[in-house]
Amino acid sequence: MGGSVSKMMGKIFGTKEMRILMLGLDAAGKTTILYKLKLSNQDVTTIPTVGFNVESVTYKNVKFNVWDVGGQDKIRPLWRHYYSGTQGLIFVVDSSDTARLEEAQSELHKIINDREMKDALLLVFANKQDIPGHLSPEEITQKLQLTKLKDKLWYVAPSVATDGTGIFEGLAWLSNNVKTQPAK
Amino acid sequence: MASTLPYRPSNDSLSTSNAKTNGLPRLSPAASFIGRSPSGSHASFRRTSTENAAGYRPRRCKAQYPLDSPERHVEYILVASFHIDRGPIMEHQYPAAISGDESMLAELMLPDQTHVRSQDWTIFFLHKDTSGEDEDESEAGKKKKKRKSRYRANEETAGMSEEDPDEVSEEDSSDDDEGGEGPPLMYVLNLVNTKQDNTVRRGAVVKAMAICTRHSFLHIYKPLLLLALEDYFKSPYPETLASLYDAVNNMDLSLMPKMSILERHILQSSNTKDMLIEKFEQMVRQREEEEAEDGECPPSPKKTSRYVLPRDTHEYESKVVYNDIPIPVKIPTAIWPETVGDFSLVKLVQTFAGPHATSPQPFPSHPHLTTSGPFTHPIIVLINAILTQKRVIFLGHNRPSGEVAEAVLAACALASGGILRGFTRHAFPYTDLTKIDDLLKVPGFIAGVTNPTFANHPEWWDVLCDLPTGRMKISSHVEPAPVTEGLLFFQQQNALLPNPGSNTHPDPTGDNLFMDDILRSITQRHGENAIRAKWRAYIVKFTRVAAAFEEAVYGASNLYIIGPGEELSPDSPTGHQTDPTDPTSLRGHGYVWPDEASKQRELSASVSRIEGWRNTRSYYSYIQDIAAMYYPARPIQRPDIHHHHDRLRSLKLSHAEAGAIYLALSHAVKDYAGICQLLTVAPENQAGLFYISMGLFHPDQVVREATVDLLDRIAVHPVGRHFWTHLSRFAKLGYFRVKREREAAQSPISGAGSPTVTNPGTSFGGEPQSLVGVALGDSFKRRS
Repeated sequence: MGGSVSKMMGKIFGTKEMRILMLGLDAAGKTTILYKLKLSNQDVTTIPTVGFNVESVTYKNVKFNVWDVGGQDKIRPLWRHYYSGTQGLIFVVDSSDTARLEEAQSELHKIINDREMKDALLLVFANKQDIPGHLSPEEITQKLQLTKLKDKLWYVAPSVATDGTGIFEGLAWLSNNVKTQPAK
Repeated sequence: MASTLPYRPSNDSLSTSNAKTNGLPRLSPAASFIGRSPSGSHASFRRTSTENAAGYRPRRCKAQYPLDSPERHVEYILVASFHIDRGPIMEHQYPAAISGDESMLAELMLPDQTHVRSQDWTIFFLHKDTSGEDEDESEAGKKKKKRKSRYRANEETAGMSEEDPDEVSEEDSSDDDEGGEGPPLMYVLNLVNTKQDNTVRRGAVVKAMAICTRHSFLHIYKPLLLLALEDYFKSPYPETLASLYDAVNNMDLSLMPKMSILERHILQSSNTKDMLIEKFEQMVRQREEEEAEDGECPPSPKKTSRYVLPRDTHEYESKVVYNDIPIPVKIPTAIWPETVGDFSLVKLVQTFAGPHATSPQPFPSHPHLTTSGPFTHPIIVLINAILTQKRVIFLGHNRPSGEVAEAVLAACALASGGILRGFTRHAFPYTDLTKIDDLLKVPGFIAGVTNPTFANHPEWWDVLCDLPTGRMKISSHVEPAPVTEGLLFFQQQNALLPNPGSNTHPDPTGDNLFMDDILRSITQRHGENAIRAKWRAYIVKFTRVAAAFEEAVYGASNLYIIGPGEELSPDSPTGHQTDPTDPTSLRGHGYVWPDEASKQRELSASVSRIEGWRNTRSYYSYIQDIAAMYYPARPIQRPDIHHHHDRLRSLKLSHAEAGAIYLALSHAVKDYAGICQLLTVAPENQAGLFYISMGLFHPDQVVREATVDLLDRIAVHPVGRHFWTHLSRFAKLGYFRVKREREAAQSPISGAGSPTVTNPGTSFGGEPQSLVGVALGDSFKRRS
């Protein structure tokens, strides 16, 4: 019932729907971001994701179906099964984990070079900006070699997932740039 | 051979050679047991299966799980955990490492989204297929294989190949049984717990413990896993695994009798709580005698009370002592093949019937699947999909993985009906994305998943069953049904025939009617057993209709072995007695339709799915099973008892036709196994002996008396006596009237009225007919 009402509202007010895939190395903060989006004002404590989480978040008339997939290296090969139909990729980076930025860079390029992801928007959260020794969004841009990308809309947003800083700004960028597409 | 084996407790094969001519099989286990002198060869119960002396073995009632069996109840205990840096890892394995891909096992043990719930159950299967072509789940069964083939009785394929205690070739036959299908599956019951713990990095510990067993009743181990996993959180050492392993393997099931295929069939379809109690009594007597002979345990009053008979013969009660806590367990005594764990068909049907009833959604048309048009009942679509070997996925997003596993197991049982098999072998009760590449190599499977991403990949499945919404989808990628020769032949044949009204009939397959009946049974709370029995009947009917179709189209059927003297030629019509001196030479076989038009209508409605079934694994295994079970399941090959009983039930027969059937049945059904066979085609939930008892009211006295003889034999039969008790009083009075008439005619002096008449035709020597007398004593005395 609730579903059908909101669908109707969507038709009236032109709600868009967007499938988002959120990836990143393990312990980057993906699940915290997901639940911070979902439950904006609450404290979120997370435990490692076994498999995946999926939640719907409505923000600025866009319904985001966000998939958050576990990041341990052994289960990264499964990411590709989530690609088809994805309109936006959120890639979460632990800005303080400089040792693994190269690993993050290679994983990211693997993802966006996949044929099924060629039309997807790319939002990078330079997460954990509150931890001493973190890199700035510009440094992250450089480390991830984003400037090399052609035909790709991308954006790096600084964030502190645990207190919600920067999360909705990132989402706003996604909703402003998604191609107008009728909700399905 | 028969002369050396006067007592045949579960005689399946002997009667085949001499159903009518052999000696008098004595049925009372008591009489037989007492009559046999304690002999040396029975001194020890540690006899191995090879050293048996053919003359003695058949007398004994064998255990399903003998004490001296090298088979363990549980073969492995595993523990896995989710490592925060590495993902799923295996922590311990006991008693040894199970071969195969360890990390894959660990992944299966830690189902998706286990971090959002504190506890979850899963079930998965391990196997190594001998053909090695399409099996994936695991290579783990590999090591076990050699041992298996020798000692495996057939728990999994129970009922598929009957190992007859009388048969010297027992070992061979159970080997053959595996030939078609590879080694038996290893069933894994897995419990996973997530514990929040602020003292560890990233705040949680996720651990899973699994029991690997060859028993399909793996759900009995649930309470033990709960205790043991809790213990493991406290002491994460192999010793915790070892104590669980020892506890479960010390479970004593040695007094659980082994049943023949017909006995199992009857027990399963009956609700009588003391059905076949005789077998349990005999097991206890044997044990007590062995102990007395061994001298190890001198008989004492205490000893005799040690063994209790089951309150309900459908379950065997035992216990597992774990950490000094006795945990009661109930083992099902007779399990249909393809029945694994404890699932509910009722729940499965309700899940999908509810949304269909309130707002039916049309399916895209597919000849194999939508056999009753776009609004075919989803459960029928499901069963059609499984029968025609489609890829079926149960999706339960945000549901515990145990719930999708149950749905998969229920679907296997639904399509099997205990008749067909090969579904569990290609079922993946719980699987996830990590196995998708392997899964897609399996042609036709039933899988359970919780990850909604499967819904976004219609190329991975043919039918998607969404558990939370109760909706079923046919994939846009489903392969179209091929046009087969059989289909063309059938259409050609039918073009020649006038085919009145086949297109206008609202329910040509009868499936709508059937589903209505199922749903009515569910609302009236007939219970899980009744629903399973109805599905069994549905699948039996499907195979019989398929056999009739093959005969119609191809001239002969793979699905039916023609009995001796039977012919397929149209000029020997059903009911024709080929040998005037032998009443059992009654012609006719297979499914019975009231008339030719309804036969044509049903065949043409089912032709697509039958053709779709005809090149599947379950079809080929069924052909093998028919051959393997021909003797055990059909001790009476002539006449076709099922066919003629159906004729009594569903046709309006002339007196002569009906009389011929009663005479044939009375002549053919004489011994223990034969009566079992007759009772399987007249189950209690389908009027029982009612149609047979109608022979008591036949105008011909010869027929009436033959029916009395038959009922006499049934009434003193350990299984038949329950059926006799359920017979209506009207029929019993009829029985007595005939009996009295005969008494009067034979010995006018004794007159009518003695309730303990003896009947020369009865073959159960030594057993007086008093049961009948007792059952009827009151009413009879009142009458006379």
